[in-house]
Amino acid sequence: MNELDVRRLLQRAAWMGLLGALATVYLALIGIVVRFEPRNVITGYLTLGLLAPAIAILVLSYRAAIPPRTWGAETPTRATAAAASLLAGLVSGSGVAAFLLLNNSVDLSGVFTNATPATARVLGLGFEFPAAYGVLVGAGLGIGLVAAALHALRPQLRTPLLQAITAVILLSLMEPFMRVVLLQLGQNEVAGFFYQSGGLTPAGAALVFVVVLGIGLAIAFRGQQVRERVGALPSTQQRGLQIAAFVVGLVVLLWLPQLIGSFLSEVIGTVGLYILMGLGLNIVVGYAGLLDLGYVAFFAIGAYATAILTSPVSALGVAWPFWLAIPVVMLVAAFSGLLIGAPVLRLRGDYLAIVTLGIGEIVRILLLSDALRPWTGGAQGILQVPPPELLDIDFFAPQNLYYPILAFVVLGALVAFSLANSRVGRAWNAMREDEDVASATGINVTNYKLLAFALGAAFGCIAGAFLAVKLGSIFPHNLNLLVSITVLSLIILGGMGSIPGVIVGAFVLVGLPELLREFGEYRLLIYGAVLITMMLWRPEGLIPSAQRRRELHEEVGDEEQWQHESGAQTAPPVVERP
Amino acid sequence: MRLRFPERLTLVDLILWGLRIGIVVFVVAGSFATLTHGLLGVEGWRSLIVVGLAQGSIYALIALGYTLVYGVLFMINFAHGEVFMSGAFTAFFVATGLASSGVLEANPFLGLAVIFGVAMVTSMSVAILLERVAYRPLRRAPRLVPLITAIGASLFLQYTFRQLYGSGVRSYPRIDVLVGTWDIFGVPFQKTQVVVIVAAMLLMVGLYYFVQRTRTGRAMRAVSEDKDVAAMMGINVDRVIATTFAIGGLLAGAAGILYVFLFNSVSFSMGFLPGIKAFTAAVLGGIGNIVGAMLGGLFLGVLESIGPVLFLSGFGVPATNQLRDVVAFTLLVLVLIFRPYGILGRKE
Repeated sequence: MNELDVRRLLQRAAWMGLLGALATVYLALIGIVVRFEPRNVITGYLTLGLLAPAIAILVLSYRAAIPPRTWGAETPTRATAAAASLLAGLVSGSGVAAFLLLNNSVDLSGVFTNATPATARVLGLGFEFPAAYGVLVGAGLGIGLVAAALHALRPQLRTPLLQAITAVILLSLMEPFMRVVLLQLGQNEVAGFFYQSGGLTPAGAALVFVVVLGIGLAIAFRGQQVRERVGALPSTQQRGLQIAAFVVGLVVLLWLPQLIGSFLSEVIGTVGLYILMGLGLNIVVGYAGLLDLGYVAFFAIGAYATAILTSPVSALGVAWPFWLAIPVVMLVAAFSGLLIGAPVLRLRGDYLAIVTLGIGEIVRILLLSDALRPWTGGAQGILQVPPPELLDIDFFAPQNLYYPILAFVVLGALVAFSLANSRVGRAWNAMREDEDVASATGINVTNYKLLAFALGAAFGCIAGAFLAVKLGSIFPHNLNLLVSITVLSLIILGGMGSIPGVIVGAFVLVGLPELLREFGEYRLLIYGAVLITMMLWRPEGLIPSAQRRRELHEEVGDEEQWQHESGAQTAPPVVERP
Repeated sequence: MRLRFPERLTLVDLILWGLRIGIVVFVVAGSFATLTHGLLGVEGWRSLIVVGLAQGSIYALIALGYTLVYGVLFMINFAHGEVFMSGAFTAFFVATGLASSGVLEANPFLGLAVIFGVAMVTSMSVAILLERVAYRPLRRAPRLVPLITAIGASLFLQYTFRQLYGSGVRSYPRIDVLVGTWDIFGVPFQKTQVVVIVAAMLLMVGLYYFVQRTRTGRAMRAVSEDKDVAAMMGINVDRVIATTFAIGGLLAGAAGILYVFLFNSVSFSMGFLPGIKAFTAAVLGGIGNIVGAMLGGLFLGVLESIGPVLFLSGFGVPATNQLRDVVAFTLLVLVLIFRPYGILGRKE
């Protein structure tokens, strides 16, 4: 531990402040500030457009007071921390003001499409122009003050406070969903109390804030006791609690489509397809460690196989019922998995990724080309794919199509779960960690890789089959590389090898953008940012599988050990193993 | 290549051999059918080859970026196609400015120099920033981690530029000096194609001398041999890696403007296909091998240009030009499966 170099910390804080200003300018120039302006977070007070830069500046000015670990310095005193945060906030505010000054004196809109007067107005917090500069500097200072206050709080208070703020933001983002659910339940007054013109009402926000803060404080101070008490319960009662939670979950799942209506059922159905694909790709990427960027190929093969078999206007013209086609589609899937998998399995990780990407593109271009037109219909695709038939239920309605999708998702999750905890799953683990060692212990690496590919293909093909049914037609245009990237992103966000991670990832990355139309054009930008941020800060994902967490922590241990060794003098730390 | 049968014929070997035989039969039969039908005359083939060479020299310039980075870091910089795009897209605004102020008309060489400069500097900055933010913190991470970051960076850059400059396709102003043809040995060649090929060759020769003869080039080669030993010899490894990215960016920026000479338009998504194809070229020549990347690029360009006609039209496949990209991707897949160490490289 060295003494903290205050000057250096303040210098760094100024740079962080500049970074905050740059982040704000970036958000303004890519149009997020203006685009999200109409969406209220707290109606009349805060909009999403300004929230994004405010959070960026807040995070940076909060971090500005924490010296990086490489300095090996002691934690700063309260006064120093506050000074650093305030300085960072002040620099951010002045930076944004400087950008606006530039924007108002030179017309940038010829180059940057979003450097419009509207952006300047929103960024200037709606004030008239010479005054707005001063207001901005003040606002930056204010954010710095909030960051400084957060530093002054005890961690037991800080965490619940941040959780409460997050809850308010999340609930206001989920407005379209929550409002529909409340209205369906007949709770018009409740809906009116909480939500108004796309955001939370001030009273609703205050209530949510207080409730979540209360729960958070209770957990922070009493959580340990409750957990101990539950742990002390007899095992039959614990089991009872688990079963009760399971039953409640099941009822909600089965009741959901009636609750949320047709549009949201459609959204949930799409999320379901992505969960299916995520589960499949998770077997390939998460369990077997093969980075497949051409996963869309299986999705496309499934969709086209279903369309060709069931549509009366396809080249085959057999018009089978959906349920008869499904087994054939699965056979086609496994076969295509083998055919695509076999040649590429001997490749190293990064080459495998590129080859599968190439295969995915080949499939797409072939589907689009005139050469295969008699079979696939070229750019026009295949029309009139009938919905599944069962007991006279109209599966064309998204509320009803939800159930077969749910059934396959549950089935898929069960299959994936039991595979992961079986001999096969352990073989995949071993293979992913070290192929040579795995094959030396008698694991037939090629066969296990092929199995992973074929299983992943089967999941993808079923998702494709449902896509064909859901849309009632199939076109090559919605089967591009971006599908593979979306599935990969949701796995990375949730955590590779983690089934709950896949589900959460699909809801966040596929469901949320469907609810928030404004996100539409930023979707891929956000996916890219998600991939980078997750790899830099949390490679194990939001909900990591237990094993991944262990592995990654072990790696950190090794690296620290390496740093100590190369730094000489100090002895390597004793790594405790459980 | 010495062919060797495995001791035990597995399913995978069977599929691989089936693939090999199928491809050879397909290519030979297709070429034979096309050539006997005489679908194109000498003129037609020659123009296809020149188009392919011009296109290929652009692939070669981009491929150098992949190869240089792979040489020092052993990672595929998946976002290199976006580095290429960023320069050409940014220089568009300078070019329109120069055209409307009349500089491009009055003093075309100065104008072109400025356009090249802006594109190269922009691409270089993007490449350096990319390395600093997305790759440097992950240098010790498992191999797939930087690849995933690179995919993320590719998406992020693509859509950032879409949001910054707009999603439409923009057309560069006409550059009068490059319109028309030159007669070389009595045969007319498009000026743009000649300029592209010559400029790319000059840049590649320059790079070759830089890597072989200068101090920095020597440091780069040392780092690619062994980073730790290079560090012990007093080489600043971080700086050398940043320099490598910078040079890759400079070449990609120049490639961007040459691409504009051929196709005249820019958009945020223009980097994806040339990026993948240049990667194919880099692997084709043996990744990490500078001369290999140059030859790989030229080969891919020519093959992509004549391939669809030569292999497919003989079978009566309609609209073969739609399948240009399929030829490139198939080549990518086949090279990676059968010769991942490249045509010039040696088996590790």
